[in-house]
Amino acid sequence: MAVALALLATPVLVAVMVRAKRISPEVRSDILTRWRTWLWLAPAAAGAIVISPLSAMLLAAALGLLCYREFARGTGVFRERTLSAIVVCGVALLLWACVDNWYGLFAALAPLVVATLAGVAALQDRPQGYLQRVALACMGFLLFGVGLMHLAYMANARDYRPALFIVVAGSQVSDIAAFIFGKALGRRHLFPNTSPRKTLAGHLGALLIVAPTTAFLAHWTYLGTALDTPLRLAGFGVALAIAAQVGDLVLGSIKRDLGVKDLSGTLPGHGGFTDRCNSLLLVAPVAFHYIGYFVGFGLERLPRVFSS
Amino acid sequence: MTDPQFRYHPAGDLGLREGERLRSVRREPGLTSVVLHHLTGATLAAYLRSYHRLEVRGRENLPTRPPFIVLSNHASHLDAVILAACLRGGARTSCYPLAAGDVFFESTTRTLFASMCMNALPVRRKGVTRHALDDFRARLIAGDAGFVMFPEGQRSRTGELLEFRAGIGRLLAGSNVPAVPCYIEGAFRAFPAGARVPRPAKIVVTVGRPLHFESTVNDREGWQRVAESLRSAVLSLNRTPN
Repeated sequence: MAVALALLATPVLVAVMVRAKRISPEVRSDILTRWRTWLWLAPAAAGAIVISPLSAMLLAAALGLLCYREFARGTGVFRERTLSAIVVCGVALLLWACVDNWYGLFAALAPLVVATLAGVAALQDRPQGYLQRVALACMGFLLFGVGLMHLAYMANARDYRPALFIVVAGSQVSDIAAFIFGKALGRRHLFPNTSPRKTLAGHLGALLIVAPTTAFLAHWTYLGTALDTPLRLAGFGVALAIAAQVGDLVLGSIKRDLGVKDLSGTLPGHGGFTDRCNSLLLVAPVAFHYIGYFVGFGLERLPRVFSS
Repeated sequence: MTDPQFRYHPAGDLGLREGERLRSVRREPGLTSVVLHHLTGATLAAYLRSYHRLEVRGRENLPTRPPFIVLSNHASHLDAVILAACLRGGARTSCYPLAAGDVFFESTTRTLFASMCMNALPVRRKGVTRHALDDFRARLIAGDAGFVMFPEGQRSRTGELLEFRAGIGRLLAGSNVPAVPCYIEGAFRAFPAGARVPRPAKIVVTVGRPLHFESTVNDREGWQRVAESLRSAVLSLNRTPN
């Protein structure tokens, strides 16, 4: 409902800001291009989360693979077919661990896949560029595979829908709030070398919007649990808001290092899936372990449903 | 198959939208394309061996790794499939058949098949720009691509070899990229232009020795000399009297 309202309100808000001369026609066009992409992206993501835990897990796996693909094409590690195939198998196994509610496998896959990447690359007998290609494949797997698959594991909880909504919406609202505050009030650049368009006002605006909103939503989602104390909820909100913005800077650093503006042109106005999921990259594991520490995930479901 | 040396460099087609990427001459295949390309190649090779009793003479002359240009006479849509099926290992993975843009890259279905399954790159036959040829030449010189191409520029409607266009010379003159001439015999009988279903005619591919044009001057006259020299080489592989 909130997503639908936001989508409906965007063109009206833009029209008001144009009339008040707060934004230029170029910025208006930029916002509307992003909005048009949101019109199908938001229902698709919300639909996958609402339908069933399995569809939510498949969505997370698909996002992980699409983001890895863009990262691999940006860094050149896509030319290493064997390493990319290992990463794809790793994500498939992570998906299996989520579907099976097998946390032991889920936790073990990160070191096991990294060890496999390092070992298989050594067996290729090509020491030149070894560090670069293994490091890139490991980074791609950990950041986009393991990182985003935390969302999939969250779908094992009975109340996974509001939990996923908080995480996904929180990270996306962080992007939007940073963009709007930055355009409207932004003057001083905080990280000019990494993210030249991000301003102090944008960062603070996103923090001020995301931290209380997510803390409030978490309060209603985890009512009466160990997480439901003012201090822990505030910690959750601030951790999520900071992780969202640092995730954005992580992708900014990758793109600056590569010297490219976007890693893909798949989503008009946004760039690629990596650009859209940048805030989620760190939010997903941070939220998963924060909530998991106090509440746990999938504890009420039988573990290892298929493999035991 | 992977590059011998890792290149910390984005894909040539980075930043393009998916449709543009599939139609771009700068396209570099990813894992999905490579898997589909190999599966399609294996299926088509099995079809050619069983249905057309494909025979390859002079296989030792075929390249094993890029860069290269494998070229032949062109009388059938089967020709690109036949030449690609002759290649092995790294040469097959890095092989891009150059296909008519107005035939194979107009509809979405054909574009998907040509790019994802055949690994083909589009050539605009009418008004081929210098820019497009320069892109092809740059990829050859970079050493990460091999092309399967037909310098006649169209399928022969009679089965006889047409004149070669000078564009092939523009790709090769002054470079050390080997050009491997081949002659395909039987494809015209099996699946000529206008036919709907291939006939089970035997197909024989004769592969000639690689030719190099390092010393040929890279100008209009040089390009013409390369085209004529390659046409003679292809013609000399035809053992059937016309």
